[in-house]
Amino acid sequence: MSARSRLVICAAVLGALHVAVACAGFLAPYDPTAQDREHPYAPPMRLHFVDTRGGVHLRPFAYAQGLRAGSFDEYEENVARAIPVRFFVSGAPYRVLGVLALRLHLFGGDAPVYLLGTDGYGRDLLSRMLFGGQVSLLAGLIGAGLTLSIGLCIGAAAGFWGGWKDEVLMRVAELFLALPWIYLLFAMRAFLPLAVPPVKAFLLVVVVIGAVGWARPARMVRGIVLSAKERNFVRAARGFGATGGYLLRRHILPETGNVVLTQAAVLVPQFVLAEMTLSFLGLGVPEPVPSWGNLLASLQHYNVLASYWWMYLPAFAMVPFFLGYLVLASLLQGSSRTPKIEEASNWV
Amino acid sequence: MEPVIRVEKLVKRYAGRGLGRRSAGFTAVDSVSFSILPGSTLALVGESGSGKSSIGLCLSCLEQVTSGQIWFEGRDVAALADKELRAVRPKLQMVFQDPAASLNPRWAVREIVAEPLLVQGRVARDDRAERAAQGLERVGLGAEYLERRPAELSGGQRQRVAIARALILEPKLLILDEVLSALDVSIQAQIANLLVELQRALGLAYLFITHDLRIAAYLADEVAVMDRGKIVEQGEAEKILRSSECAETQRLLGAARVERESVDAVRQR
Amino acid sequence: MMRFLLRRLGHAAFLLLGVSVLAFAFSTLAPGNYFDEMRLNPQISAERLSALRAKYQVDRPVAVRYERWAVALLHGDLGFSFAYNTPVAPLLWTRARNTLLLTGTATLLVWMLALPLGVWSAERLGRPVDVALSWATAVLLIVPDLALALGLLVLAVRSGWLPTGGMVSVGFEGFSLGQKIRDLALHMVLPVTVLVASALPVLLRHVRAAVAEALEASFLRAAEGHGIPRWRLLYRYALPAAAHPLIALFGFSLGALLSGSLLVEVVMSWPGLGPFLLEAILARDLYVVIGGVLLSTLFLVAGNFAADLLLYWADPRIRAGAPER
Repeated sequence: MSARSRLVICAAVLGALHVAVACAGFLAPYDPTAQDREHPYAPPMRLHFVDTRGGVHLRPFAYAQGLRAGSFDEYEENVARAIPVRFFVSGAPYRVLGVLALRLHLFGGDAPVYLLGTDGYGRDLLSRMLFGGQVSLLAGLIGAGLTLSIGLCIGAAAGFWGGWKDEVLMRVAELFLALPWIYLLFAMRAFLPLAVPPVKAFLLVVVVIGAVGWARPARMVRGIVLSAKERNFVRAARGFGATGGYLLRRHILPETGNVVLTQAAVLVPQFVLAEMTLSFLGLGVPEPVPSWGNLLASLQHYNVLASYWWMYLPAFAMVPFFLGYLVLASLLQGSSRTPKIEEASNWV
Repeated sequence: MEPVIRVEKLVKRYAGRGLGRRSAGFTAVDSVSFSILPGSTLALVGESGSGKSSIGLCLSCLEQVTSGQIWFEGRDVAALADKELRAVRPKLQMVFQDPAASLNPRWAVREIVAEPLLVQGRVARDDRAERAAQGLERVGLGAEYLERRPAELSGGQRQRVAIARALILEPKLLILDEVLSALDVSIQAQIANLLVELQRALGLAYLFITHDLRIAAYLADEVAVMDRGKIVEQGEAEKILRSSECAETQRLLGAARVERESVDAVRQR
Repeated sequence: MMRFLLRRLGHAAFLLLGVSVLAFAFSTLAPGNYFDEMRLNPQISAERLSALRAKYQVDRPVAVRYERWAVALLHGDLGFSFAYNTPVAPLLWTRARNTLLLTGTATLLVWMLALPLGVWSAERLGRPVDVALSWATAVLLIVPDLALALGLLVLAVRSGWLPTGGMVSVGFEGFSLGQKIRDLALHMVLPVTVLVASALPVLLRHVRAAVAEALEASFLRAAEGHGIPRWRLLYRYALPAAAHPLIALFGFSLGALLSGSLLVEVVMSWPGLGPFLLEAILARDLYVVIGGVLLSTLFLVAGNFAADLLLYWADPRIRAGAPER
């Protein structure tokens, strides 16, 4: 398999994963904020094809769960009540891309079917995970986009202008690199107003994440611009009277393409992780909007950790995406090349 | 006859870099003066470091002169600002030594040759493509080369593309910086002949920069020998070749002779 | 040698100065301060509030506060904590010490594991063992720290083998020395495991790559031709040649000693610098935050400085004055 086709396959798989999350409204059976007070901390329901009498059904079904008499957190299956799983059902309304209002869901049942269990408010975990992915991934993508844009501008400016402007910009970049980024992130976020509506909180988180990491990409871009500037085809273009803007646009910046793409593949998962960390600690996206980070926040309570193992599942949501981005980054870099220290310390 | 270009007391100093390390600057060109008549060739001969490339860069306005004047079309182009230079640049074009480095490897030949037209902004896209094809023809490459990339071409072909590009704006003076040095010996002859033809057909003036005195004598009407930033000898090519008394020229001649002798010696074996 | 040292020192000092200015600017320019919260508390009278504000000089212009703080810093005084009503420095030292215990152990372990494994792997490049190791590290790489930490915690809770958080058990004071060490060690197992698991894959890859590259060098072939035994070849010749990038990485490891473990400490309730600073940030305890950030930065800068020194000593090319960067 050639390198190019490997890259295409990897990008396609990663893209499919993102599309799945984008279609959270369709794939998720329930509204992520809909509470079911009768089923708090319900464990995942199992799907069966064979009933208790040995009859085989083509359509999968689940048994309704109810609290065991006398207990307030133990559930038992009620084998008398089977809930067949239907596909392409109409359910809670949702919007695609904030515009199109739909009610169609991939699957559902007459009674609630919680494939991954519920949380303390009886909210379906599967739905929350899917919608949470939208928030976390979006934060990572936009954050990475912001960082790369800033880094590209500053790096290109520094490399192109040279001289004292370059020195100044690079000193500032060094300062940002010297700051322990995690503290910088928290400090920036915490020193901004703490109690804000979810949308603003989300945007704040993204801007903060994006504004922190520009220094490393800037240095890389600068290096490329510096060397590209001296190439003779750039000089020749200057010889016909090309302006600086033209040179940057048509000759120099295209050289940065590979580095920028690789950095994107490295930065997105890092920034998703940063959002998860912030939300986990209560500084990110607030309730009731789900994000992969705040879905894990309840695990800070001992009893949740000890008794409700399914609450841990959102931690794995990130894994296929991480894998995809990791493979993408290493394919872009060319796996035989020694990873440079500059790029690698992103993970440290 | 009025010279196409007249250089007066050109000085180029490069400043030292950084603090404390080689802070003393370095004078590449030390008060050099010469002129070139239209349709003729002046060869600038010298070793590396003699300052000849710097002169080329100054003349094509790719480097700032430290002091001195360059009279072209009645104006001192050394003193012009970037905006005013834009109108002048098309007339003074440069061809570089290594064609692999002076052609953008991601572009097709057609785009490379037409780039000056794009930059100057006066020609529509279709016309550009047509002029590119014409330009290629002029240097002996057919239309099948239009969509190729530099990586698919040989050294000689690349240099032809570079020359086509330099000619597309119809310059009066072409500055050729070691354009033959990166090529195989047999190809050198081809390109040299192409240059002579083009000069005759288009009435171009050449500033031919080289370290090889033989080639200089073959192509040039006048030769100027440079040593460490100064012109040490200048005059008609034939005369210098035969009866020069300057030490530097002798040395360069000697080097050329040694080259020729070793080639002969190999052939005899 | 002196010039090099002085230049790096000057560089480090500049960084620290810049960071302190940035940190101060961020913290003071942000809306809200510690006393806003107190204002909402009806139990504290207005006079007491303004007396406190005057005492902490909250109302002075930013530049003045910075200058006072910087001067005090040079005397070793890191300022005063609003929340704890005590000087900042002793608070930070205790917490920092706890963190260093954790990260120091983890860093030591990571390097002790990564070096031999990396060399071993580089030797058998492409062979099944190497591929297996690559896959294992890849798996570790893609699991985020948060998931790992929480996962181990879940395991600990369900199995009951290890303590589930904190640094010491109740009644620690009364233990004998042996018991104390054992108790501390048990509490350290989980957080150290998470730290090692998250740092090992990256370091391993780098050691492997650097050694693999060094192994290809021709001078090594020559040495091999002389009949030098394999292990000597690896450790006395190849590894030093691979030292350059590894030393830079070591500098990063050192630098991250104070800042790399924040999440793990919060999840595992380890009383280190991380949770303490987080609390201070949320409470807007200005001088604690700045002191903490500066301390972490100091480590980062010192780590890089140490790496530079080591590089200088190890690589004769740098000594000869070849251009760096």
